[in-house]
Amino acid sequence: MDFLERSGRAKGAATASQVRKAEEEHSAEAGRVETGGPATPRRDFLKGTGLAALGAAMGLAVPFQRHFPDGLVPAAFAQDTGMDLMPEKDGLTLLNDRPLNAETPAHLLDDDVTPYARMFIRNNGLVPQTALDKNAEGWTLTIDGEVDTPLELSIADLRNDFETVDLALVVECGGNGRAFFQPGASGNQWTVGAVGCPRWQGVRLKDVLERAGVKPSAVYTGHYGNDVDIAGDPDKVVISRGVPIDKAMEPENLIAWSMNGEDIPALHGFPLRLVIPGYPGSVSQKFLTRIWVRDQVHDGPKMGGYSYRVPAYPVPPGTEVPEEDMVVLTEMPVKSLVTFPATGAEVPAGQPAEVRGHAWAGNGDVAEMHVSLDFGQTWQQATLEPPPNKYAWQRWRTSVTPPEKGYYEVWARATDRNGVQQPPVTPGWNPRGYGNNMIHRIALFAV
Amino acid sequence: MVVALAMPMLLLAPAAAQGYDPMQPQAGAPAAGGFDPMRRQAVGQPSTPAPEGNPELGGLPDAPGAEDTFYLCSACHSIRMVTQQRVSDQRWDYLWDWMIQEQNMPEQDEETREAILGYLKTYFSSER
Repeated sequence: MDFLERSGRAKGAATASQVRKAEEEHSAEAGRVETGGPATPRRDFLKGTGLAALGAAMGLAVPFQRHFPDGLVPAAFAQDTGMDLMPEKDGLTLLNDRPLNAETPAHLLDDDVTPYARMFIRNNGLVPQTALDKNAEGWTLTIDGEVDTPLELSIADLRNDFETVDLALVVECGGNGRAFFQPGASGNQWTVGAVGCPRWQGVRLKDVLERAGVKPSAVYTGHYGNDVDIAGDPDKVVISRGVPIDKAMEPENLIAWSMNGEDIPALHGFPLRLVIPGYPGSVSQKFLTRIWVRDQVHDGPKMGGYSYRVPAYPVPPGTEVPEEDMVVLTEMPVKSLVTFPATGAEVPAGQPAEVRGHAWAGNGDVAEMHVSLDFGQTWQQATLEPPPNKYAWQRWRTSVTPPEKGYYEVWARATDRNGVQQPPVTPGWNPRGYGNNMIHRIALFAV
Repeated sequence: MVVALAMPMLLLAPAAAQGYDPMQPQAGAPAAGGFDPMRRQAVGQPSTPAPEGNPELGGLPDAPGAEDTFYLCSACHSIRMVTQQRVSDQRWDYLWDWMIQEQNMPEQDEETREAILGYLKTYFSSER
């Protein structure tokens, strides 16, 4: 059944005032509704509202009324955002609670391997019930499309039939840094903390694709998961992105079931997810159920329009770029963070103070790292450690000596293997604010 | 940051040091009739001086259109998704159509559309 068509046909689809009325009715009924368990206000709203009002709120009245008896709420409508799991996180900044999105302050990203508590949260939809319940029973991964032998693999099949590998891999939201674009770009206003580098355990995507036999006609992958539409449409694919087949065949890409030695947490894609480093995080599909090998550039939701796309040519800030001139965002730029000390730290004047952080690049290893204490006028080279594997972030460290009391900023600048450096200002304005790799700066007070 | 550079000693007090972050996206007065590359995107503060956000409306400032905006937008997503934005008028128009075409938002009558878009363009704008 086509949902769009359904809702489009609904006579007099909900107006804001109808929605308001639905919620007011809920308030009147709320007293007699017992939900049991730690219910969110939204759950109360959903469970306490008559289906007709609920349908009106969603613009769906007729079809749902036909299919669901009174008092029963379609499961997707009552689906949690994952917000109940936020207490497991340490100091993250909440950007959005439906869908749940939260970033990590830079100074909490100091660990070489990002722990669960400090891994940013990016959702396009709601966390599926299977993930919240940690229920992987009967989970299968389908590999189909442009392959010789379509596969349907259980998690046990993946564990038993392929080599297990363990890699530290950076996952970074394509929109990390969006908050610094001017004019603003729509979407979650990530500053610098939509990035992390946990260890991931799983099998190589390449090995699985080769087992299926990739046909010469293969062009792109298309990834699917079971996350839930935020408006509760059970038929809507929330997000389905992919990568060019050559990128998919890189040996660092994983189909992972473990993060930092534990089952992948619900918020990060339980029980199975892709980890495809170097590209925007949205290609690393969570709650993975299917990889469709395509004979064209994948056209799933969030592949088209302005989503994860940038202008094909440089534009002045604020330009309304025609949709046909937008191209898919692929490799992420070179970038680094100062993770110690926290911005605003006080250090003794005239003495060396340690500063450190991480550097990474979408094309692999970072070549050099430099730090400035004088607003970019002079630079000193920092020690840059080799990564444990390609696409892991690299520890950099150095010490700076503020010559006298006063206000300083530590600027950190990474250089990739092609000699490309992070810019001091936002690069390449684009309508959705992707790929901002401007230099990270922290304040340092010498006392 | 301008203040910090002009009067560094005032900021040396520990209280001032606490939480100060030069990367903090900040609200700035819009450049008059031009683009200022040094101005940063604002987060969490309306670009137009507005009454304190109303917690009962998810933090939307009380003004004509606020209630309609709250009930329509929060049917699907958190109001935080709205209050984070500072986009152009054209982008709000685009987002409205995108919500209907791609995200199943119910069509609204013209009056409601104007009320909500007018509100969004007033308080969550990169233009004013």
